[in-house]
Amino acid sequence: MTEIKNAHFTTLKGAYDTEKMEATLRVRRYDPETKKSRFDNFTVTIPVTASVLDALDAIKDTHDGTLSYRKSCRMAVCGSCGMRVDGGAALACKTPMKKFVDAGHTITVSPMGNLPVIKDLVVDMAPFWQKIRAVKPYLDTRDADVPEKEWRVDPAAGDQIHKESLCILCGCCVSECNSMESDPDFLGPAALAKAYRFVGDARDKDTRERLRDLNGAHGIWDCTRCYFCNQRCPKHVDPRDAIAKLGAESFKEGFTRDEGAKHAKVFVDSTFKGGYLRETELVPKTIGPVNAIKDIPFALQLARAGKVPNPLSPHKAKDNDEVKRLWKLLEKEAKGQPRRATATHPDAVLGD
Amino acid sequence: MQDRYAYYPGCLASLSQKELDSSTRAIAKKLEIELVEMPSVTCCGAGDIHEAKPDYYLHISARILGQAEQMGCETILTICNVCTLNLRQANKALQEDKDVLNRVNDNLKQVGAATYQGGVDVRHLLWEVSAGEGYDRFKSIAVKSLEGLKVAPFYGCQILRPAKILGFEDSDRPESLERLIKACGAEPIDYPAKVKCCGFPIVLAREDVALGELVQPLQQATEAGADVIVTPCPLCHLSLDAWQRKAGAFSGNDYQIPILHLAQLLGAAAGIEESELKFKRHVTRLSTEVKAKLQVPSVVGTQA
Amino acid sequence: MRLRYIAFRREGMNNGGKFPHRDACHVLAGIRHRTYSAYTRGIAVHCFRRLFMIRHDVIVLGAGLAGMRAAIEAKRAGVDVAIVSKLHPTRSHSGAAEGGINAALGNATEDSPATHAFDTVKGSDYLGDQDAIEVFAEEAPNDIYELEHMGAVFTRSADGKLAQRPFGAAGAPRTIYSADITGHVLIHVLYEQLIKHEIKVYEEFFATQVVVDGGQCAGVIAWDTQRGGLHAIQANHVILATGGVGRMYYGTTNAFACTGDGMSLAWNAGVPLKDMEFLQFHPTTLKSNGVLITEGCRGEGGYLRNKDGDRFMVGDAPNAMELASRDVVSRAEWKEIADGRGVDGCVMLDLTHLGWKKLQSRLPGSRELAMDYAGVDPIEQPIPVRPGAHYMMGGVDCDVWGETIVPGLWAAGEVACVSIHGANRLGGNSLMETVVFGRRAGQAAAERVKEQGDTGARIEASVLADEDRRIAAIVGNSEGERPGVLREELAKTMYDKAGVYRTEEALAECKDKVVELRERAKTLKIDDHGSIFNTDLTSAIELNSLLECADCLVTSALARKESRGAHSRLDFTERDDDHWLKHTLNWNDNGEVRLDYKPVTITKHQPLARSY
Repeated sequence: MTEIKNAHFTTLKGAYDTEKMEATLRVRRYDPETKKSRFDNFTVTIPVTASVLDALDAIKDTHDGTLSYRKSCRMAVCGSCGMRVDGGAALACKTPMKKFVDAGHTITVSPMGNLPVIKDLVVDMAPFWQKIRAVKPYLDTRDADVPEKEWRVDPAAGDQIHKESLCILCGCCVSECNSMESDPDFLGPAALAKAYRFVGDARDKDTRERLRDLNGAHGIWDCTRCYFCNQRCPKHVDPRDAIAKLGAESFKEGFTRDEGAKHAKVFVDSTFKGGYLRETELVPKTIGPVNAIKDIPFALQLARAGKVPNPLSPHKAKDNDEVKRLWKLLEKEAKGQPRRATATHPDAVLGD
Repeated sequence: MQDRYAYYPGCLASLSQKELDSSTRAIAKKLEIELVEMPSVTCCGAGDIHEAKPDYYLHISARILGQAEQMGCETILTICNVCTLNLRQANKALQEDKDVLNRVNDNLKQVGAATYQGGVDVRHLLWEVSAGEGYDRFKSIAVKSLEGLKVAPFYGCQILRPAKILGFEDSDRPESLERLIKACGAEPIDYPAKVKCCGFPIVLAREDVALGELVQPLQQATEAGADVIVTPCPLCHLSLDAWQRKAGAFSGNDYQIPILHLAQLLGAAAGIEESELKFKRHVTRLSTEVKAKLQVPSVVGTQA
Repeated sequence: MRLRYIAFRREGMNNGGKFPHRDACHVLAGIRHRTYSAYTRGIAVHCFRRLFMIRHDVIVLGAGLAGMRAAIEAKRAGVDVAIVSKLHPTRSHSGAAEGGINAALGNATEDSPATHAFDTVKGSDYLGDQDAIEVFAEEAPNDIYELEHMGAVFTRSADGKLAQRPFGAAGAPRTIYSADITGHVLIHVLYEQLIKHEIKVYEEFFATQVVVDGGQCAGVIAWDTQRGGLHAIQANHVILATGGVGRMYYGTTNAFACTGDGMSLAWNAGVPLKDMEFLQFHPTTLKSNGVLITEGCRGEGGYLRNKDGDRFMVGDAPNAMELASRDVVSRAEWKEIADGRGVDGCVMLDLTHLGWKKLQSRLPGSRELAMDYAGVDPIEQPIPVRPGAHYMMGGVDCDVWGETIVPGLWAAGEVACVSIHGANRLGGNSLMETVVFGRRAGQAAAERVKEQGDTGARIEASVLADEDRRIAAIVGNSEGERPGVLREELAKTMYDKAGVYRTEEALAECKDKVVELRERAKTLKIDDHGSIFNTDLTSAIELNSLLECADCLVTSALARKESRGAHSRLDFTERDDDHWLKHTLNWNDNGEVRLDYKPVTITKHQPLARSY
């Protein structure tokens, strides 16, 4: 190593040189003691590389120490700083300020939605954790015979749950979940992504139990497919896709009694029966004939506007035999394969 | 905008929402674009097949895309959010992974169906007429100014999110519908729920949850003083229109707001006649006042 | 689970569609705790805040990997254990670890615990205690298998076994990993086990004092951040697992939460801190906020360049070049920048020649971090990086079971100094340390509970009342400087004067400044006088911890007149085994740091020159 004698080597030149900019933020405040909310505007000088979180820190350190928000890792892995930036949930630490400053735009920062506010930007995550716990979020190998070494898992099987294991439980997906706004008991995108992480795990043996529970009220068929969760997720988990995968697993295991599953089945059947959807079958086959009869006044309204296609001459696409053959081919293919990948006991393989 | 599209109206526009198909064909004629029929296509799956049988969904999507390709069309024109997302999502999966594409094609070949090489784009009518040359073409045919008509745009979900599959515009602050409403000479009304869900996908399976969602745009658009709501999606339309009375009963309100398909609004501004726009096929009828603002002759749809 | 789910639904309905009541949450998850009512003693409430008394057998402070692992082990042993953490468990900084976790499984090539131990001893520059390192290397494989059985999603090799990759200064591919999110995967799998084992977590409870009664550990006093209120949590055994102290430096990879709370709590409870001068710098951290860019970037072929575009590593490590050990690369970078060959206080990490495909497939996380936090797309431009404070090798002095000199007070993870890292830590050893020594501390504390029963040590009501007055005084003060302002001044002082290179002169200035800051921090301006989520209050307490740890660090560094591992003195450039092959101890002497030393345990490996 080169000999160094210079004492000036203890400090770094230009360590703190940084280009600065001035930014204005409109921040939603809530005081739990007076139970009043308001908006405050703050203008702070921050480095050009600053995130929304850095801007909040600048406010707290130099303007107003009463401002409360959660933070920790500031590198988008701990999931503490989920909040709404201009109405959309995001990690404050992963949202750069520069684009807003350049556009001359004053951002509005407010707490995440679908969760009660505790103070300023801090929400009560208890309902969120409760839903995570409700999906039995741990591996169940139901096995007295745990191997001495690791379970053997095919790398491809491991990849199946790669996206879901990226989840940092920040709650951004839940913030704008439209179904949860309407049904606060809906398990929601984060818990369901977590559920798939175990349903899709080759080592887990509790699949059927898990799927049975998820097919109930407030479960997977509550999802309205608004795709806000995929849009908001800062970690590319795509929770809606995980919910869809749970649907597919439910079908594989024969859980098709939920109205949501029945609804989906009409679509599947329509394609190989005629091509387009058989709209007139949708209502009775989804909600059952009894409920459909109860809904007759509603159906008459639709009929009056010409919205009930003739059930006796359903749509028939040209060459639809291709689709029928395709359906049969894929069903046969699926039958020939194991329903899911499973982990193997190393002793059974190598005897080590 | 192109001169020739493979036209994929999807199920609803071919069945209960025939007025959308009819309006679209009429406006396409005015815009001088050729809509090539796709007689052997199936349903896109509406997200339901994607959820129930993902592999089957991928195959029927590839078959639809492949048919367009073999017809020599570069682009499939859709008029439904759900078709747009489902076809684009499958398209992305097929284009990004050659192994998947090859496997799907092998199966399609086995059953004698069209295979797909990956060269087709899927675009919604809204995207084609709200920007670029399509917008200019529309401006030039929008001869009737719908002045005084207050229009609440309702985007629906699956034309905005997920942006990595759709990505036409800022999914939180879209502007395309507003741009077109202005081009029609009407006034766009702003309200927060315009980018939210209408509840349609679960309106049969979870009616209460869906109605809870549906109430939001109806309530907000009404409060903001909108005469009509316009939407680019026939599913949102069905939800907002046909379930409007149920949403009213659910929330203790009496909503009376007519819902227009995008093609109907464009058609009205282009002077297309009621016989093609077929407003009377709506459950929530147009009031005389709104009809006047839409400049539709008052002989049709006498029920207010 | 079916029942839980139904209970959940019913609860929701009873509330008219509103959020289910908090208590219902516990019923739902099947978690029935021995909570507040388990042991409540009447106490005169004479302050404006609520005071509580709670009792458990074992309290674990901190819910990172070490803390959760300790709690799980104690729970399995059948004692009443609870976790007290200022963060929700998955928010802990263990989750930010990227590279992997070391154990000699021998899945890739032949390997053995003995080789792992030797690599670790050598890496520690012979300051690591060899008995502890042997235990560590020996027990690591089983702990890995157990993590796998718990459900950890590790990357697999083609045969379905756990994949292992090579890491710096390791004799075999020994690092088990999960892409570049190993820490994240582990923190979540242990959190899942907390739920499975129904372990009570006092979430967002900020510990302010470890109480010692008659020479025995009596429990902790903690502030309930969410609801306000000071809790005396009685426990004969407290396991400290609060993590590191990187936030005392301006450039650091550590989270905001890494403020040395546990070190400060132990120090004030009369336990010495050990080897605090040994703080590892990571060579590639972003200037903007210190975020770590993984060593994998250099592993995949990235170059380090100075402002002239030269690959300067050729001077200090002509063979290993960019892949030399962390301390060597950090020193070379520091020298370039300090000597004026840097760019705005940084050197450039150049990945542009790797191409889009490789970057996108192998280093997507790093690319995203560079774009988010440096505004640079590494496909097109080099990333400005510099050394940043990364890991505290020192910490609370404890034995191989984690026990300190105060009976009943234990430590595990980064807060502890067992010591296995000595003067320099090898990549992948810290995650393994949290799991091995977390488990051991949990096991040992539980065994002690069973052997001893109640030791009789108690937090007296008067102690709680005193602590309440102390907290009230902090909250009530509106004079002086803001905590954030002083913290930044401390961080810059440490980065400038106690950084990668050290001298007598700079360290002396640093010491003076730290002493001055400790004085100024005695009265802090607190804007928030409320009791709900008062982060103004918690940052004031954190600042105090940082200052105490900084004082220990600089005092130890000033005294150690040699260069060893991460401690690099410009005025004493050689390792001096004759005088300095010993651990530094920092005692709390009425708030002042008093130095002391103790010998290093050497079993098999006599000190040799360390070269790679």
